[in-house]
Amino acid sequence: MKLTIPEREIMQPGHLACQGCGGSLAMRYALKVFGKDTILTIPACCWSVIDGPFPYTAVGVPLFHTAFETAAIMASGIKAGLDIQGKTSTNVIAWAGDGGTFDIGIASLSGAAERNDDITYICYDNEAYMNCLSLDSLIMTKNGLKKITEVKLGEEVYAYNQKTGELTLKKCIGIFDNGVKKVFEVNTLHHTIKATSNHPFLVLKRNGRGKKSYFVWKELKDLMEDNEIVVLKKLMPGKGFKFNPIKLSKKGDYKVNKINEIEIPEASSENLMELLGLYVGDGWVRPQKAEVGFALPKNSKGSEKLISLYKEVFNQNLVQKDESYIYVYSVNLAKFIDSLGFEKGAKNKIIPAWVFTLPEHEKEAFVRGLMLSDGYKFKNSNRYVSASYDLLRTLRLLLQTIGYQVGKIHQQTKKKGTLCVYRQLLEDSTYGYISFSKKKKPNISKYLSQLKQRDFLADNEYFSTEKVTSIKFIKEEPTLDLRVEGEHNFIADGIVVHNTGIQRSSATPHGAWTTTTPVKHYKKGRKKNIVEIMAAHRVPYTATASVGYPEDFIKKLKKAKETRGFKFLHVLAPCPTGWKSDPKYTVKLAKLAVQTDVFPLYEVEDGIHYRQTIKVKERKLVTEYFKYQGRFKHLKEEEVEFIQKKIDEDYKILLKKFQ
Amino acid sequence: MKKTLLGNYAASWGAQLSRAQVISAYPITPQTLIVEKLSEIVADGKLDAKFIKVESEHSAMSGCIGASATGARAYTATSSQGLALMHEMLHWAALARLPIVMTNVNRAMAPGWSIWADQNDSLSQRDTGWMQIYASSSQDILDSTILAYKVSEKLLLPTFITFDAFFLSHTLEVVDMPPIEDVDKFLPPYNPEYKLDVNDPRSFGALTSEEHYYEFRYKMQKAMEDAIPVIKEAGREYEKLTGRYYDLIHPYRCEDADLVLVTSGTIAETTNVAVDELRKEGKKVGNLKIRIIRPYPKEDILRVIQKCKKIAVIDRNISCGYHGIFAQELKSALYNEKEIPVWGYIIGLGGRDVKIEDIKNIADETLKNDTPRDLIWKGVKL
Repeated sequence: MKLTIPEREIMQPGHLACQGCGGSLAMRYALKVFGKDTILTIPACCWSVIDGPFPYTAVGVPLFHTAFETAAIMASGIKAGLDIQGKTSTNVIAWAGDGGTFDIGIASLSGAAERNDDITYICYDNEAYMNCLSLDSLIMTKNGLKKITEVKLGEEVYAYNQKTGELTLKKCIGIFDNGVKKVFEVNTLHHTIKATSNHPFLVLKRNGRGKKSYFVWKELKDLMEDNEIVVLKKLMPGKGFKFNPIKLSKKGDYKVNKINEIEIPEASSENLMELLGLYVGDGWVRPQKAEVGFALPKNSKGSEKLISLYKEVFNQNLVQKDESYIYVYSVNLAKFIDSLGFEKGAKNKIIPAWVFTLPEHEKEAFVRGLMLSDGYKFKNSNRYVSASYDLLRTLRLLLQTIGYQVGKIHQQTKKKGTLCVYRQLLEDSTYGYISFSKKKKPNISKYLSQLKQRDFLADNEYFSTEKVTSIKFIKEEPTLDLRVEGEHNFIADGIVVHNTGIQRSSATPHGAWTTTTPVKHYKKGRKKNIVEIMAAHRVPYTATASVGYPEDFIKKLKKAKETRGFKFLHVLAPCPTGWKSDPKYTVKLAKLAVQTDVFPLYEVEDGIHYRQTIKVKERKLVTEYFKYQGRFKHLKEEEVEFIQKKIDEDYKILLKKFQ
Repeated sequence: MKKTLLGNYAASWGAQLSRAQVISAYPITPQTLIVEKLSEIVADGKLDAKFIKVESEHSAMSGCIGASATGARAYTATSSQGLALMHEMLHWAALARLPIVMTNVNRAMAPGWSIWADQNDSLSQRDTGWMQIYASSSQDILDSTILAYKVSEKLLLPTFITFDAFFLSHTLEVVDMPPIEDVDKFLPPYNPEYKLDVNDPRSFGALTSEEHYYEFRYKMQKAMEDAIPVIKEAGREYEKLTGRYYDLIHPYRCEDADLVLVTSGTIAETTNVAVDELRKEGKKVGNLKIRIIRPYPKEDILRVIQKCKKIAVIDRNISCGYHGIFAQELKSALYNEKEIPVWGYIIGLGGRDVKIEDIKNIADETLKNDTPRDLIWKGVKL
């Protein structure tokens, strides 16, 4: 077999490229062809960093870092300096990203092309974009309800299977910080979520009798009141939770003179959960004082229940000495309670993620405990009061997973001195309450079509649809988004949302730009066709290339090396970071771009002789290319169709030029 | 060999005699003649150099940087708007420690469009790390170019020679051109220790953390400090060759002066004549021409003015919001050293003519006054 790719390595390992970086692959091929008698000049771009910080370098040839807009002229200057000293064999390469080439660098590029300076300009092209959720969005993960900022890469999150309508678990394969953006609040009867204007929701499109209703992804800005969106109804049944063993203190430890021998439970149980419910409402923990306390008056229902639960769980007798409070002094109990994640302070308590993974009966026990502390019956429903807004948010979502319907969070301020449940307020306090009641199990078999009028997913075990009641602008805040494999959606604040990638894309997939100092911006129009611009300058040789077709790239590099005058190569170099793709798909994407005619491979001699260098045998649709990239995920069907049309049109025009 | 040359052509000759190897330049009035002449010379084969006809001044400086980085002697010329456009790359050249020599024609910054003499353009570049020579005659321009390469290549810092638009750029003067053999003896070929060399591959200008950047700046400053003796030494060597000596300052009749006028550029030459006339009138006035402002010749200045009673600085520039730039720098040199009252005069901005009478007027005004003022506008027509 004939090897067409030179074996020798010029570039060395140890550089700083991201895993799966197309740009580093491109450089490696280029240096293999050009060899050691080469001088590189690189303007501001990823490669300014990839080569390594002073005093390191990875390229193995002399490299002159230069200002953003000067790649072409710097190469020209270097070439002139070498020529006048008689070093005419040395190859001079300007190696730049797309910004330094298409935008700020275009003047010096045009100048060098016009002068036909004997240099090779290689533009490695990666493109990128973005979109997002508010930082306090709560995501339903396998390990329970978590803040979006706490979701880990690789963690499984609940998603909506778009084909079967089932609740499924999918891996989170990316977490993206999308910076400060304008955030809007979308409210339904039972759910609230904050997201950016371009965040997609799954909306029901009802069609009349005889026609099928179906779901479409719609961006927040296209949502209207009364649109029905998909929300989570119930979670899959959970298993008991095994606690992470904590390091227990023993007698003899530092400052531990005597120890309250207490049995710390290894896993959750109904009794423990009820006790913890009481704790959330009325308890506190001070680990430094080895103290756990409950604000329950002597002989009250709450206090009696606590004593009985305590006996069941810890096998100890609690004695209430104080009129209003029960204290337990145990360094290990304090440590245990503290480790559970309920947080401290009346205003800060939350329901930790693991509670969401419990089986229904344990969750019910927890709710019972909560009701005993700060809850009360109001007419036909239950009410729970708390000063912690986050607790109410998480409780609302928890109740929804066990078949309760929960109203919105009402907030009110009570003045100092007002009697609140058991005691008088010491100062003005703002807190909220939620109302909830058990949902009646609808008679699906009998009234399904009527039920479907209200909730299209009435017969779906895990999801339902709810009408949007309001959408309003909140403020600008930092945002994040997740990328979920497979379904590309996840459940945030109980609502099914699409993961992100991009927003308003341009007519073709080529659109915008990142540089080493990420200035993210996007365009609605086509990107400049740089090879056409170079051809218009009548340069001796210009071509497109892709790291997915290395032999073709090598051929073109060789041709550039042997041609005298100005040479320009436009190389497609997928960027997993910017494209929101899995690093392992870099080469695949570089191939798909060609196979879908998004990035046809051709060369132009003297600006007029066009030749296609790779003829695609099995042409694929652009959806195949988009499939592996997070950045295109939000595109609507119509947009994808439009893009496909543009690709087809542009390719037809190009085809006519080939000789 | 004596020739009558326009200031601009003196600059071209300077570059030619210095055997500049790569010229990367863009035309701008009133510098155009410099590059046109050079382009002609190169095309005719009279100068063995590469001429890159760049598309902007930013690229002009970039081209020089690229060429200089390979070890070639690079040259360019510009003025006002062009100098401003290449500002980013001026920093680059200096921080990259490349001994590029440039000619700048002092022209007023726009708007309004003015092609006439004003020093704001070159003074706006004081902080870039370039050495700055303010030439005041065509002879000065030619000699300074050769001297600049000598000094720059020793210190690895770029230099620009700047001179007044039209008053000097387009005025014919007699210039004595040293024979090229002499210049070759004085200025050997450029041979840097570090350059872009395929036999010694290195990266230049990479990502530099706070761990190293500070020391780069320190070394740059050290080079500037070392420049002062190097400039004098080169000046002495050149004197042996040509009989002409160039220093950082050129005092004229300052030894016993009561009033020292501090000037630069063509105004300095006019002031020399004015000083002679004032002396005839019995006034003890001297002229301190500042030729080089970076590195700043603080010690030399202090030595010259130590006995004088008053100083009047004449600025063909102004840093709006404060006052004349030469005046500012002089005052800061005096601080903690000598207490001499300084008057700051602004004159000739935008190419307004400065006559001998104007200088005498300034001198008389200063001699009569007892209260120094930072900012006195001469001849404002409002």
